[in-house]
Amino acid sequence: MTELLAGRLREVLPDEAVITDPVRLRTYECDGLTYHRATPGVVVLPETAEQVAAVVRLCQEFRVPFVARGSGTGLSGGALPRSDGVLIVTSRMRRILSVDLAARRAVVEPGVTNLAITEAVRDAGYYYAPDPSSQQICSIGGNIAENSGGAHCLKYGFTVNHVLALELVTPDGDIVELSAMDAGYDLLGAFIGSEGTLGIATKITVRLSRAPAAVTTMLAAFTTIEGGGRAVSAIIGAGIVPAAIEMMDALAIEAAEAAVRCEYPAGAGAVLVVELDGPEAEVEAQFALVDRICREAGAFEIRVAASAEERQAIWKGRKSAFAAVGRISPAYIVQDGVVPRTALPDVLAGIDRLQEEFGIRVANVFHAGDGNLHPLVLFDDAVEGEGERAELVSGRILDLCIEHGGSITGEHGVGVDKARYMPRMFTDEDLDTMQLVRCAFDPRYLSNPGKVFPTPRLCGEVPQVRKGPHPHEAELF
Amino acid sequence: MPQEALAKTGVTVRVADAGDTVAGVQAKWVALPESTEEVAALLRVAAEHDLAVTPVGGGTKLDWGPPPERCDLLVDLCCLNEVLEYAPGDLVVRVQTGITLDALNEHLAAENQELALESPVPGTTVGGLLATALSGPRRFRYGTPRDLVIGVTVVLADGTTARSGGKVVKNVAGYDLGKLFAGSYGTLGVITEATFRLHPLPPARLWVTATYPELGDAPGVDLGTLAVQLAASQAEPAAVELDWSADSPGYTVSALLEGTAAPTKAETIRQVMTNPEISWSESPDGAARAEVSESPPDWWGRLPEGAILLEIRVPPSSAGAVVRELATSHLTGHTLRGSAASGVFLLALPAGTPKAGTPEAETPATAATVIERLRERIEALDGRLLAVSGPVGAADRWGTIGALDLMRRVKARFDPDRRMSPGRFVGGI
Amino acid sequence: MDPELIKDCVHCGFCLPTCPTYVLWGEEMDSPRGRIHLMQQHVEGTPITPEMAGHFDACLGCMACVTACPSGVQYDRLIEETRAEVERVHVRTPHERAIRGIVFTLFPYPRRLRLLKLPMRLAGRLRPFLARVNPSLGAMAELAPPPARRVRLPARVHARGPWRATVGLLTGCVQGEFFPGVNAATARVLAMEGCDVVIPAHQGCCGALSLHSGYDARKFAKRTIATFERAGVDTIVVNAAGCGSTMKDYAEILADEPEWAARAAALKVRDLAEYLVELGPVAERHPLDVTIAYHDACHLAHAQNVRAQPRELLNGIPGLKLREIAESSICCGSAGTYNLFQPEAARELGDRKAARVRATGADLLVSANPGCTMQITASMRRGGEEPIPVAHTAQVLDASLRGTAVPG
Repeated sequence: MTELLAGRLREVLPDEAVITDPVRLRTYECDGLTYHRATPGVVVLPETAEQVAAVVRLCQEFRVPFVARGSGTGLSGGALPRSDGVLIVTSRMRRILSVDLAARRAVVEPGVTNLAITEAVRDAGYYYAPDPSSQQICSIGGNIAENSGGAHCLKYGFTVNHVLALELVTPDGDIVELSAMDAGYDLLGAFIGSEGTLGIATKITVRLSRAPAAVTTMLAAFTTIEGGGRAVSAIIGAGIVPAAIEMMDALAIEAAEAAVRCEYPAGAGAVLVVELDGPEAEVEAQFALVDRICREAGAFEIRVAASAEERQAIWKGRKSAFAAVGRISPAYIVQDGVVPRTALPDVLAGIDRLQEEFGIRVANVFHAGDGNLHPLVLFDDAVEGEGERAELVSGRILDLCIEHGGSITGEHGVGVDKARYMPRMFTDEDLDTMQLVRCAFDPRYLSNPGKVFPTPRLCGEVPQVRKGPHPHEAELF
Repeated sequence: MPQEALAKTGVTVRVADAGDTVAGVQAKWVALPESTEEVAALLRVAAEHDLAVTPVGGGTKLDWGPPPERCDLLVDLCCLNEVLEYAPGDLVVRVQTGITLDALNEHLAAENQELALESPVPGTTVGGLLATALSGPRRFRYGTPRDLVIGVTVVLADGTTARSGGKVVKNVAGYDLGKLFAGSYGTLGVITEATFRLHPLPPARLWVTATYPELGDAPGVDLGTLAVQLAASQAEPAAVELDWSADSPGYTVSALLEGTAAPTKAETIRQVMTNPEISWSESPDGAARAEVSESPPDWWGRLPEGAILLEIRVPPSSAGAVVRELATSHLTGHTLRGSAASGVFLLALPAGTPKAGTPEAETPATAATVIERLRERIEALDGRLLAVSGPVGAADRWGTIGALDLMRRVKARFDPDRRMSPGRFVGGI
Repeated sequence: MDPELIKDCVHCGFCLPTCPTYVLWGEEMDSPRGRIHLMQQHVEGTPITPEMAGHFDACLGCMACVTACPSGVQYDRLIEETRAEVERVHVRTPHERAIRGIVFTLFPYPRRLRLLKLPMRLAGRLRPFLARVNPSLGAMAELAPPPARRVRLPARVHARGPWRATVGLLTGCVQGEFFPGVNAATARVLAMEGCDVVIPAHQGCCGALSLHSGYDARKFAKRTIATFERAGVDTIVVNAAGCGSTMKDYAEILADEPEWAARAAALKVRDLAEYLVELGPVAERHPLDVTIAYHDACHLAHAQNVRAQPRELLNGIPGLKLREIAESSICCGSAGTYNLFQPEAARELGDRKAARVRATGADLLVSANPGCTMQITASMRRGGEEPIPVAHTAQVLDASLRGTAVPG
């Protein structure tokens, strides 16, 4: 069947855009989460929406599942391929189609990287606000699927707050435009963050933001993580919404140091990166306040970036932290959970207890401003049983998040990795109701099946779409 | 029969009176639930007895939009008005949706916080705001209800209660039903609880207001450029509003600056507003004037007055073009008001519009023709024109919608028997 | 291929946007992450298929991915090991073998290269024909710069002014034969900055070309070490990026032979710019009224992490204006022998780079690697426009120190 399908795919795509060689196929077996692997049945590299639509229609004809993949950097296995299906890779759809600064928007293809948008408009004084740590490589299509945030979403919001319209190929293979301009349901809002289960975005209109007049980035070093936590609460309590507040604990600092020599203050038990931006006078006033708050909370050293280079140097340690942990541990799990900000101290204490109980080290990197934790659970896969214990600790951390009224994922998505945790956060009714949307878009369950929801809802027959009055009227006659 | 079944739920139910209409359609019963469970019980009864249901908040916009095909039960959420959870340190609040926006903000002000949404209609409940996706001037900085809602509890037509999102700002677990229900006009279910992200109350607010005269047929300002420059200003205005009435002396633009640095920012904005390269005045020195004040102009954040209310959405660079199109559309008695920075305006037209919309030689146009003609011009600007309320006759209320078929499919899944405000929404949904 | 080195890769994908072939084709298997995955497959027992070999061959070895990698994956070592493995077990087509044969019997040998110069110029006229017969031959003909007068360098150049140091100078194969003016300028600049410059005669190839293509470089390495030991210097200044990066790796290349590895470790290898910044400027800089676009050679920026120093030196010249080239970290497609073995890809990358160089509006392009210079010049010429002149950092400094005009 795969051969038959591949043959038909080659009728709608150039030969070299259909990959069936097993060695090549295997390089697509996982995304940024290597824990889950599956060799795709076929990989296609379309260059236009029409090609994507043609591929999807063939999948419908053959009743095989399809999975969309951008740059393959996701951390929840959202782009994990299906061995019985087609992997649709958008890495060749990477043109910036138009930029309209007056209307503050750009139209791009899904394979364009997040950072490429900013680079295209930076000289004009604009940027694209969501900035996930992988922004130099993650694709905007992937950002749509995951509703990506980033360090600056505390002040500026997420992908869903910065996308104005998109063209998508529906699971039926139709090309449809969703626009915030149109009347009707906010399907744009429902689609963003649906992790590829409602179709494939093929053209995206993003909002461009004006670069702030002033940016101040400061690094405050604390001897303990509690000190850092106190500073965060006090900053928010003072009515300041910084562009970003990021925290790293000692272990995460050690890793970043090993990887990129970020030269954070020696002896720091935690560092806080605070970025303030906006009109100059406002940033100055806020900076004075934040500086005082940090010192009062016990900061023993505060550095302020005086130039773009110094700002980058401060961010470098933070942005490379995930991969950097590879320097201090043979293997690790990147966790992504959220708790109400005020629950941070409790949850961190809970993580400490888990470390002791299981003899597993956890490095903490987090977006402290919005309570988004990224515990990095370290283990040595060569040691018998350590992987399992790490997995256990990682799951327990999510339990902690749920207990404290939080979420099992703040930005990495549910994907295949966390589908099984969904019932801990939502009831069956919640999940079934969400899947009504899925049934409306993809009743045959072919668009990225097996992701987000632990068990598919049976959609049943496609309900008759009644445009006229209710049939009870007919009963009158 | 249905009335007894409704009464059995234990919820206060009364027979509807003459005032209980939805866009002119008389309802039969009104229920006053006090909890999500009670709403669910009511909807289960409604499902058993095939009652059509319309949720009601403050009842301030029930005459907006097309009438429902049928309407048996009004679920009035006025008693569902508690603040359920408020943790100031988290900048998050969870409420029952029957609480009014004003009451909620009064509650939050005690902690120097606010829900940064506005309703141009006094008395609007949080649920009504969500269901109609209304917004005010500050949408430019803070977005619309869908941008600030982080969790909802909804009751579907069959009585199923479902929750999505949560009480943390950052959360991507599962589909975001809050976005789907925002602006759904009660056609998918009843929103009974909602959780919002909050903002600190700004320590200071200043308005910079300039009125530009009408010079011939055009404003004494290059409105398009002004709107673009204000929106792009690094002084970061929270809102930039335009007000223009057929019978007012000119075009008024007002920008809101918030925060400790408001005075400095206001000065920057004042300079943009009086930039002689884009504005002209009849004053002796030819320079436009802009005033800085601590209170807004009296029209700020209010609905323009007129029998017919239209909404115009255009790319934010097209504010000037909208005014140009309207100025050449032979309208009379109209008021245009809205966010020049976001490109979202409300246009009020008088009822009947005897001569409006037609060159004088032609016969008087109906409201429907006026709307269709305006729509043609607005859609040519890559925009949309929606008829919000009023006697619009046979006019299509919604304009071009790219994904109408998908919307019908969503409706068919959530409300297969078409009992939730049937016919109140796009494409007869 | 060392499985431990492969394991360092956490599959984050940060390398993708820096990889020239991924930028061109957008395929996982033609990215560093994909190639490491292929290596893993091979280590796990998958034989090297022609497809797999093709993806390894397509790697330029520019090492931009090494710079970008937050996990510290030693892709440079991995790809070198892989290339050796490919050469060992993979049977190439006769056509591929022929081209490789020509390159490896010519380029590492200055005397043979010298003999080739005349035929290559002639070949220039035959270029369209050669390109049809074989793109690699066409590429070779296209790249050859115009003939340059040979410069004979003395065995020792004495420091001007007070003596500060004694260094050896590597003359290089391609640099020496095609760009003799660069070596002369390098020697003068070093001397004017107070160095005695020792230039051993009969230097051979340092081994870079072979190493980067999976051939054994040890023979070349040992001979180079011995040559400089005999010359009595412990610091070798190199002005060709590719040579410098290879020589800095001598100790690793010779790791199996501890005695040689120790001798390698005793030699300090420095890129010219790196060395001059370490030494600190003393000679007077005369103003140069010129706008320069500085090109980061991969083997300098990525392999040796030398980015700031050449810019610092250039910015130290009064009147000189420095412009950055967009996508500066993406390879120009030269990559040692790459433009000979993978001419189509090299051509695309060359055109991309040429367009971005031109967009800077600079009067002069500065590049510290002869391969890049030939590649970018050829791309510009192919574009039908007059190529902007190209000079080496050494030549610009030389002009400033001597108060003469910039060459080009």
